[in-house]
Amino acid sequence: MPESIPAPLIIDTLKDTFREARAALAAEGVRTRHEHLGWILSVPDTHQKTVLAALDKERALRVLTCSTEDEANAIAAGLWMGGEPFALMIQHAGLYASVNTLRGVAMDGRVPIFYMIGLLQRERDKEPRESRHSMVRYCEPLLDLFGVPHARLEGPDDVRFIPEYYRLAQKRRGPAAVLVGLETA
Amino acid sequence: MAMKPEDALRAIARERGDAVCVPTMTTGPAWRTIAPDDLSVGCVGFMGGASSLGLGLALARPDRRVLVFDGDGSLLMQLGSLATVAGAAPRNLVHFLFKNGVYHTSGAQEIPGGGGVDFVQMARGAGYRAAYTIADVGELERRLPSLLREEGPILVELHTGLADKTPMTDRGGVPFPEQVERLRGRLIAS
Repeated sequence: MPESIPAPLIIDTLKDTFREARAALAAEGVRTRHEHLGWILSVPDTHQKTVLAALDKERALRVLTCSTEDEANAIAAGLWMGGEPFALMIQHAGLYASVNTLRGVAMDGRVPIFYMIGLLQRERDKEPRESRHSMVRYCEPLLDLFGVPHARLEGPDDVRFIPEYYRLAQKRRGPAAVLVGLETA
Repeated sequence: MAMKPEDALRAIARERGDAVCVPTMTTGPAWRTIAPDDLSVGCVGFMGGASSLGLGLALARPDRRVLVFDGDGSLLMQLGSLATVAGAAPRNLVHFLFKNGVYHTSGAQEIPGGGGVDFVQMARGAGYRAAYTIADVGELERRLPSLLREEGPILVELHTGLADKTPMTDRGGVPFPEQVERLRGRLIAS
């Protein structure tokens, strides 16, 4: 059975992921111009609200709240060109809303965008593809259709997928996503 | 008479220094002729994204000036970006809006609201530090040196006619992923 993941665990994992990313950028010769470790581009997701609340008090990660997921994708491209680490925190509905930008920026533009996508209303006892909610049901098939690699965070042990899929996005120069299975704790 | 967008771009090119530039839609073909360097990246294939692309660049590289060459039809597609830019408050971002009142590439259909949409008021309302209207190229030339030094984000609404070329009539240029790669290479090396 899936479990909720505590917000501090997700935030600590993101920090470690960005530390590793900064080290990789430094190895590329990129000079760090900021004190924070990386950027969280967020269109607030109810499913990840405990993480967002904890991020409000976090100084090592800079949160930029965007009006739309389209914006978040384009801002990510600018940050990437400027040598900054980032992650997008959005909801499945936002993924649907921004499919063209995902295609145009992350896929066609070959920008390594790492997404954390909340599966709001996902039932604890069901596979998302069997959900009675279409917004839950279509998320993984849509990512499959676009060839976006993804993993589901179904409990605390799965936070390992955060650095793994972040690295995968960098390696393939394109999008990669983790899906937050249950509302974060 | 409205200024020619090519004249406005030439004036900006003369003053930009090493600013990173983000053209979109009808400013794209002219800009790649006027400033064929690898310090620019066009917003191609995700209409409306120029201001956000510029915002990401400006936040990543606060030591560089970033100039966005947006369109009025484009900005309407992601109008919320005005608030996002204002909220992030990048001091190094100048948002030029080439206002011609139409969707030029698809046959010059009027944008919603036509020429009456006041983007200057919108930018001010969203929280830009300043927003201006400039209707002729002489005034643009006079004001550019100070506009490019002013603390951002600022929006400069340029009243223009139609460009000679559009991305539909002039499809050349460096593909978007190569533009991204080249600009990233330039930025991380400096």
